[in-house]
Amino acid sequence: MISKEEIAGLVRPDSVHKRVYTDPAIFALEMQRIYGRAWIYVGHESQVPKPGDYHTTRLGDQDVVMVRAQDGVKVLYNRCPHKGAKLVAEGDGCAGKFFRCPYHAWTFRLDGSHLSAPLRSAFEGTGYDPADPQFSMAPVARVDRYRGFVFASQSATGPDLKTFLGGVASSIDNLCDRSPVGEVEVVGGVFRVEQPSNWKVFYENLHDTMHARVTHESSFQAARDEAAAIGEMPFELLIQDGNGEPYAFWEKLELRAYHYGHGYMEGIFDPAAATRDPVARAHFACLTEALGEERAREVLGMNRHNTILYGSGSPHTVFQQFRVIRPLAVDRTLVEIQVFRCKGAPAEVWDRALTYANLINSPSSNVMPDDVEVYRRCQEGNATRGGDWVSLHRYLGTDTMLEDGAVSTNGTSELPMRNQFAAWRDYMLDTAGLPAVIAIHPTECSHAA
Amino acid sequence: MLLDRRIDLNLAPVEPCTLDPAALRRVEQYLFQEARLLDERRFDAWLDLWTDEGRYWVPRHHGQADPFEQISLFWEDRMLRETRVRRLLNARNWSQQPVTRSSRLVGNVQVEGFDGEGHLVVRSALQYTEYRLQQRHLAGQVFHKLAPQDDGGWKLQLKRVDLVNCDGVFGNLEVFL
Repeated sequence: MISKEEIAGLVRPDSVHKRVYTDPAIFALEMQRIYGRAWIYVGHESQVPKPGDYHTTRLGDQDVVMVRAQDGVKVLYNRCPHKGAKLVAEGDGCAGKFFRCPYHAWTFRLDGSHLSAPLRSAFEGTGYDPADPQFSMAPVARVDRYRGFVFASQSATGPDLKTFLGGVASSIDNLCDRSPVGEVEVVGGVFRVEQPSNWKVFYENLHDTMHARVTHESSFQAARDEAAAIGEMPFELLIQDGNGEPYAFWEKLELRAYHYGHGYMEGIFDPAAATRDPVARAHFACLTEALGEERAREVLGMNRHNTILYGSGSPHTVFQQFRVIRPLAVDRTLVEIQVFRCKGAPAEVWDRALTYANLINSPSSNVMPDDVEVYRRCQEGNATRGGDWVSLHRYLGTDTMLEDGAVSTNGTSELPMRNQFAAWRDYMLDTAGLPAVIAIHPTECSHAA
Repeated sequence: MLLDRRIDLNLAPVEPCTLDPAALRRVEQYLFQEARLLDERRFDAWLDLWTDEGRYWVPRHHGQADPFEQISLFWEDRMLRETRVRRLLNARNWSQQPVTRSSRLVGNVQVEGFDGEGHLVVRSALQYTEYRLQQRHLAGQVFHKLAPQDDGGWKLQLKRVDLVNCDGVFGNLEVFL
């Protein structure tokens, strides 16, 4: 057992001990204290459109199934209470009217409750009781949804979903608001990519603006060389070119940090984004008709890049993606990449989302392999005896504290990493229910430090 | 345009084609040569094999009808193929240090017939072994659409690779299959 003092000692205001990335015992504890309690994104309602439809995934180290029952979406542990067999195989499918175990044909209603077991007379006089929850599929303690996004918490107590999401709910809102009817759906399949590295490295990298032009030099340079050769920079190249922006560009961005490790990276609100190119103009016209010009400009002008929902992954509003981050082991992470269609939006908006997914987030991306490579190098480098601490010093003490979190004064600040580890430490130190508020320790990221 | 839906992706031949053994052998040799260029990392020569509109496609789904409504592992036109090669050859391509080495076995070559635009549709099987830090094995069916050229040769109009694990979990896919 790792003591509280030991855990507390792993996170300093300006650095973190490499053990948080490499120690399997820490990982096992994270599965209990973070993934065992926090609200984690399970999937989108559109993945289970009809009663009986299910989608399997993992909440931390737990195999779960999200299923559409008659009265709504449920999240159940994927286990038959008889012998423990997983009731449905990996992937998506339809269970029909009820779940039926492939081992001894015990059946369960779509809400997980016990329906029947064959040759019931054999149970007479035994402790078997169909009404006893121990003979039903176990539901995850709490399930809630936000605009079609289904989350589950394995803790019966703690803040509600809306409180937990805090300021980053606005990213989910903006993703949905890009549809004239305010709804999105997962379409076209999900990429699944495995990274040979700890899950936390990916979260840190999502708001690591200093890595873009270094790590991604090969892809942005290739895009620029190609653009020069063909005499234009179409969308397909533009989205690979962005990482090559000079440091001055990244310094101007705003990094917003919220409780529970969440945050987002924001460009300055850009009303011109609504009419920048033919696709945006068609989208703007469509939203204007549905919502009025002012609201349409507000929605499409929100020029937000990666959002971090700590424990769940990273929704991307502008191009309608969600990179769902699933830890598999201390040195292995699965990323499920979902693509959304904005219901009722022009076809070109879908085309752009599809192209962005294929070029940026697929396993064949020109951009991602260099990320995956540096994560792997961190994982292996941190396994050496060459030093114990990982630096988070950048712009320490300059971030501005706000009522509900903090904001960087410089877009290259390592505020997001410091915020994630402040949350990480509080999760890991609290052994009872989910803490109501995770503080962004002012002494660690304000001028007071 | 990358998502131009007018491209003919239909693999069912509309016109039969019977080749004499010598002609069939030339088709096979063309596929073997294409495989060899990739194995030898002669990417520029490989890029020259393509027609202007040619598409390289690795579907994400079994039996995927098109790359327009669903995601694909690769869907690349000339511009994107060239961009990929430029990245593979860039000195700061961290994930290609060391480079990906490959060896592929192309077999079971069958000429299916001509498509509606006069392209020869050829089906083959691919066994592909790759090494970069770790060894990986991929396999699947490949469909080539060959555009006849005036000099009697062909260019690639379509190369579709249907991987047996297209819906599986992947590490990086950096080089062409």
